[in-house]
Amino acid sequence: MTVQMIFLAFFGGAAVWFGVVVFRTHSMVRSALALLFSQTAIGAMFLVMQAEFLGVLQIMMMATEMSVMAIFMVMFMMDPGGMGKMDMTHQKRLSLWAGGIGLLAALLLVWLPDWGPVALSVPGAHEQAADLGRELLGRSMLIFQSAGLTILTAMVAATMAAIVPNAEQRK
Amino acid sequence: MSILVVLLSLAAGAYALAVIERWAVHGHLSLTGPAWAALALMGRESLLARKSDRLFFELGPVLLLVAGLMAVAVIPLAPELIITDLATGALFLNAALAYVLVALIMAGWGPNGAYAMIAGWRFLGQFIAYAMLIVMPITAVAMRAESLSTVEIVASQAQLWNVLYQPMGFVLFVVAAMGLAWLPPLDLPDATGELAGGVEAEYTGVRLAVLRLARMVIILALAGATVTFYLGGWLGPWLPAWAWSAIKILVVAAAMLSVGRYMPRIREARYLALSWKLGISLALANIFVVGVIALVVPI
Repeated sequence: MTVQMIFLAFFGGAAVWFGVVVFRTHSMVRSALALLFSQTAIGAMFLVMQAEFLGVLQIMMMATEMSVMAIFMVMFMMDPGGMGKMDMTHQKRLSLWAGGIGLLAALLLVWLPDWGPVALSVPGAHEQAADLGRELLGRSMLIFQSAGLTILTAMVAATMAAIVPNAEQRK
Repeated sequence: MSILVVLLSLAAGAYALAVIERWAVHGHLSLTGPAWAALALMGRESLLARKSDRLFFELGPVLLLVAGLMAVAVIPLAPELIITDLATGALFLNAALAYVLVALIMAGWGPNGAYAMIAGWRFLGQFIAYAMLIVMPITAVAMRAESLSTVEIVASQAQLWNVLYQPMGFVLFVVAAMGLAWLPPLDLPDATGELAGGVEAEYTGVRLAVLRLARMVIILALAGATVTFYLGGWLGPWLPAWAWSAIKILVVAAAMLSVGRYMPRIREARYLALSWKLGISLALANIFVVGVIALVVPI
């Protein structure tokens, strides 16, 4: 249990530290990849907490998502390499307030509700994957399928809106 | 113990693969060739581009190697000969291979060179198009095995190998694997003809040696995945289990390396369009067909 706590604290610390790096660096690619490693550390925390499927899934999904974000950041920022020492922060007062309120809300959420007893025994990884599958294709199926379909529709619509038809297609 | 055995066989496999690649490219078989080439790389000056992103430049090849080794960890060479038999092995393989993308973006962005950067971002497009064609065929494989554990996936093929059970998934997976390992004719990130080496362009000396080694490990990991998921892993008559794994993995890897020598490189836009429009539809159809077969005739 203590070894588990040490690893959990280590990966938690890593997640927070990489989160800080996101804002400290001027390079957009470094920033995006720091966010990726922060999320990977959270995936490692899942693994430490013996939620194997969730951990592996988190580690897998974030790699592609953050890489895609990196290319958009490079495309839209004026100084993507951070070599021009341009200040890209803005609305600092608002961000401070939003960050402070977010932190407060997270702390309240941790301390105030009654989370019930801590799970002392965890089902094996095989059972966890099977249980998760039954949950996703049973009770929660409608929620997840409608969320998935909504995201897919949004993606198709966004792509269609982004495509500028060229001269040949307009005819 | 099994970690040591797997790592040693990985080293031997990487060397054998280097010999085969040299044979396929230059046309003459030389058993000591890769060793001399590696020594030459070690002795060569390691250049560093001006205003490079040093951290990414150094970390790129290393992360590539780590991703390859992680992927190898869940590939069984025999029933007991596997580094870790995770309950989510097939998913873990994808997770490890996703970091090939991160490593190549780092290696492309790091040296502050136009060719390398274009190549890195080009691999992003290529990877996102082909990641689905890795994941969806594996879904169908896991459906038949009723498990994500790679050992159980091999065991599920005792009656009939998946290459016959779901041939469409096999073809999609192999094409996607070649895209993921940027093997010719899908070697767009280091397209020698147009990008002058692409991601590899700015690397020299020891760093290039690590990059090349990492790529060999990734090719072996993907060949191992193909064998595990479709060619019955260690299953086979007469020979011991590990021998069957070794033979199959080397044959698949050699085939992957050789195919590109006889095919022209595909233009990037066409290659991506093929994946999104044809590949993903076929992969979904494959899942459906396998699902129906699994329900109607359980073998």
